[in-house]
Order: sequence, then structure tokens, then C-alpha cells
Amino acid sequence: MEIVRNVTRHKLRSFLTISGIVIGVLALTTMGALAENFNALLDGGVKYFGSSIQVGAPDGQSAALLPISKVDEIKQVDGVGAVFPTYAFPAKPGAAPSFSFGVPDTIVAGDPAENDWAALKVTTAQGRQLNSSATGEVVLGSTIAKEFGKKVGDTIDLPVRPPDAKPDFVNHTFTVVGILNVTRTAPDTFAYINEADGQALLKDSLPSAIRDQIPVTEIAMAMDVYGKPGSSISDLDKLAVRINSQVTGVKATKPSEIVNAFKSGGAIFTAITTAAALLALIIGGLSVVNTMFMAVAERVREIGLKKAVGATTMNIMGEFLFEATLIGVVGGLIGYGLGASITVILNATTPPGQSTLFLVTPSLTILAIGFATVLGALAGILPAWRAASLDPVTALRNE
Amino acid sequence: MADVRLVELTKHYKRGGEIIRALDGVTLDIEKGEFVAVVGRSGSGKTTMLDLMGLLLKPTSGSLFIDDVDTTKLGDRQRAQMRARRVGFVFQEYNLLSGLNVLENVMLPLRYVKDGKAGRQRAVELVERVGLSDRIRHRPTELSGGQAQRVAIARSMVNGPSLILLDEPTGAVDTETAQQLIDLMKRLNREDNVTIVIVTHDLDIAAQATRHIRLKDGKVLTDERVPGNTPALEVPVA
Repeated sequence: MEIVRNVTRHKLRSFLTISGIVIGVLALTTMGALAENFNALLDGGVKYFGSSIQVGAPDGQSAALLPISKVDEIKQVDGVGAVFPTYAFPAKPGAAPSFSFGVPDTIVAGDPAENDWAALKVTTAQGRQLNSSATGEVVLGSTIAKEFGKKVGDTIDLPVRPPDAKPDFVNHTFTVVGILNVTRTAPDTFAYINEADGQALLKDSLPSAIRDQIPVTEIAMAMDVYGKPGSSISDLDKLAVRINSQVTGVKATKPSEIVNAFKSGGAIFTAITTAAALLALIIGGLSVVNTMFMAVAERVREIGLKKAVGATTMNIMGEFLFEATLIGVVGGLIGYGLGASITVILNATTPPGQSTLFLVTPSLTILAIGFATVLGALAGILPAWRAASLDPVTALRNE
Repeated sequence: MADVRLVELTKHYKRGGEIIRALDGVTLDIEKGEFVAVVGRSGSGKTTMLDLMGLLLKPTSGSLFIDDVDTTKLGDRQRAQMRARRVGFVFQEYNLLSGLNVLENVMLPLRYVKDGKAGRQRAVELVERVGLSDRIRHRPTELSGGQAQRVAIARSMVNGPSLILLDEPTGAVDTETAQQLIDLMKRLNREDNVTIVIVTHDLDIAAQATRHIRLKDGKVLTDERVPGNTPALEVPVA
């Protein structure tokens, strides 16, 4: 109780000191939430690309297309569990490019059975998954569904007709049969259609001069290859090497290369945002050091008296450390509360179709409040040591 | 049995290149229940002797026994425990904590002993004994000098010490209040059989002690019992 009184004794000074911590923790919370959101996005990529091998057209080939016959050739490679042809198209062709932390709206076509093999499984919040035999159906990711205001049973024209569409632009009407749960990563902005519809869109996307000459049912844009169940990422790396050596006309990328690229990108982003926030917090911590030194200077006689009536060096250190820690805790809680509120408000006001920018996780909560607490305690060590090492005789007669 | 025994107790300070002999080989015994006044000019070593007896200072040489414990052999933690348990302090400037009320100030030393929480009732009783029941929730700024010093006296008694050390306790109050404070100390000395050592310049105050120790240049100049003033142990308790 006395410690609380000591903190509130100089209200303005305590307010300013706590404000320093509040600003630091607020910065740590918001910047950390930005990094956590980005990392969640990357984690999805790591999970997805770490569990499958991406097979595409070899380098130097002008059109990124593969004969679908390669599916059977790849299946012959030792260690392959499953191969799925895939197709992907921009959902909003011709849309003005904008900076975003999310993946752009994309139409993804493939075999719904791939979900059974993927490490990043998507589940439906409403409706059902695609039926591989039924065409004209779409399952929307959470963000894209919100963007277009669609629910199960509605229809949507894909790709979205751009304002300056050319005369030969074609799109198709799909019935929404399912809306996916939020994943905070790529599937949120994906519209899933089945393989046959993907091939139809591929045909539509080809130049009109060759559109009717290319048998799209025999072509894939890429392939996702899965190893036998239980394959590790190093097993998949070796499998990618075997595919490249045994199957001509394809390029299999080692999963570890893609995963490492994601991880290094995430690490740099986290380091930059966290360092900036920590800097702000450390400056706040220095104000705690200053305040505590002033408190010691003002309470020299009090310290002398406490020693005279039996306080040990550790008792005095403990009291001042607790006081500094209390400043850190109060600043941490207020800063975290404000920071988390700001992220909630900004996420809530994110326009439909744009991925939210902030993700406050339990580990971020512990980091923000924990760091402020530890910082307060650390900031109190020197002043507390100075207080504890005061000579009681000198302290008692201090003017 | 001596409550406090000083054996060749010496405290030297270095000031610049000079050695100050603040206390210079003092040997004396103070019996349990005595009311001792230590007098002398400024710089005679009175306060240094009080600080040594209160374990706030470590002697340069010699020994100090309190309740037969050689305190010069104790570590810092044990000295702090002995200050908390066996010694009470009263200072000229009261040294009350402004953030605490009367009762909380009296209870302050209880924080630093193991069974301190049980002392609350004793603290309340002491506040009553020093006549401040009606001020128990008041802050130090709401008290007169005499009242503040009575709080300091109650605080010095709260852990039931065997020795109370008072450093010019009446220096900041008027003569009438000073006499009231001394009457209070004499009563506590009698009722609780606690040993009291008071440093004072006031000869009227000193005259009421059972023993005078006069210091000069860090040495005992005179040490005499005061005729007519009876130590606590020899006064029949009513």
C-alpha cells in the first residue's frame, strides 16, 4: 500500500514516467501485432510449401504450362504420394496494384481431394467443400467472401470484369457452395473452383487466335506433388531432385528453398518492427531510472530511518525495486490496453477485401506486459542499490 | 547483568589526512532498566556512542555487547535483526514517514521482523499509552511537535526492545512539551523496565536520569549515578 502511495505521491512525475512506458508498450504492441500478422501469413506459406513440391514449367519456357501427362510420369518417381494439377488466375484482372500485406484475390482450381494431403487444411465456416464432379461451384475464402458480400447460395462472376475489359473478355457465373474459416493466410483471399472449371478459365485466358487450338484438358499450369505420408521436408527436397532428374520438361523446386525465403523475410520484418518498438520502450525505461533516482534522493532520511528500525539492505532494495516494477506493470498494462484497442479498431475499419493488418497473439501479450515489467525492475536496480547502500547514520541526518 | 557493555569501544574517522577520534576507548556497563543521560559538548562523541550502541555504526576497535551478544561479531543481516528486535530509536527530528498515518508509523518496525503482523494490537496499545488514540489515523503533518515525538516514542517501543536510544528527543519542542516527553519516557522506563540512553544538551532533562555519563573528546570524563533518581528495577510497580 505504501508503495502505491509513493508512486502516487508525485502525480505529475509518475504520470510522465508511466507515459514513457505506455508509449513504448503501445509501440511494441502495435508493431508486434503487425509483425505477428505478417508472420501468420508467412507461417501459412511455410506450412503449405513445406508439405508439397511445386512443379512448374522449366526455366526459359515462355508459357507456364505443363502437359497433364506429366502427372503420371511424376507419379512413377519413387517417394511420390500424390500429384495434383493446379490452375491459378487473378480474380480481379486489371485491378490497380496496391500495397498489401495479404495475397491478392486469386481463383485457384484443382482437385478438392488435395485438401486431404495438404498440411494447411481449409475448413468451411458455412456450406460445404467443392464436389469434384460438379462444375459452376465456388468455395470462397473468408476475406474474398466479405469483400463481395457473398454467402452460401449466392452467385459470383469470376474473374471480375475489369472496367476497361476487352471485347473478348469472358467470365463465368459460379454458385457459392461454401465459405471458408479464417486462416490469416493465402486461402482467405482465394476462390476455389474445381479442375474442369479451371481448365475452362485457362482457355478463356488464352489469346483468341490460339484459344481453340490448345486442348486445355491436357494442360496444367502447375502441379502440387506430395510425398508418401510421413515425408519430412528433407525427404521432399530429395524427391524434388529425383523429379528433376527423372522427368523431363518440368522444374521441381525444393520446398526448403521456398520455406527459407519465407522465414528470412519474416525474420527481417519482425526484427525491424520489434527493434523500433523496443527502442521506444527502452527510452521509456530510462525515464523510470531517472524517476527512481529522484525518489531515492528525496527519501534519504526515510531510508536511514528504515535501516535504523531493522530494514536490511535487501529490504530497502526490494521496496525500491517493487516500486520501479509497479511503474513498469502499470505502464505495460495501459500501453498494452491502448495498443490492443488500436489494433482492434484499425482491423475493424479495414475495408472489405483487404486483409487485416494486426494480429494480437497471447505470446505478444506476454511479451509486451512482461517486457515492461522486466524493464521496470531492471530500471530500478541501480537506484535501489544506491538506496540500499546508503549509510544509515548519514542518511538519518541528511538535510 | 549488564544490558549494554562497551569494552574499549573506539570509532575513528578519517577526514582529509587527519584522524578524528570520535570515540576513544570507552568502557562502561549499562544495567537493565537504567535511565542514562549522555551529556557533553558538541563533538564530544555523544552521538557517535549512540550510533554505535544502536548498531548503525561499526566500531574501529573494541567490543559492544547487547544482552550479552558481542555485536561486533555479527553480520549486517544479524545487526539489522538486532536493531529491529532489541533497540528502539527516537530522533530529534521525529523522522516520521509523511505518507503513513500515526498507527502505520508506529507499526513500521514490525515490517522487518518475522512475526510482525501480530504486533498490530501492541501498536494500537502503544498509541493509547502515549495518549494519541484520538489521532491514530492522522498524518504526521496534522500533529504538533510533541505529538509527533510521542509517535516516534511509540514506534521505538513496538517490537518490545530492551534498549531505547534517544538523540536530543526534546531539541525541537518547547520546555513544557519536553517535560511531558521525559515524563512519558520515565513512565515507559518504569512500566516496561526498558533501558533508556538519552543524548541531550538540556541539563534539566539530564537531571532526571538515574545516571550521567559526561563525554569529552571521545572519552568518558565522568560517570555518576544521580542521587535520588532510582533506576526502574528498584521502583516497586503499583
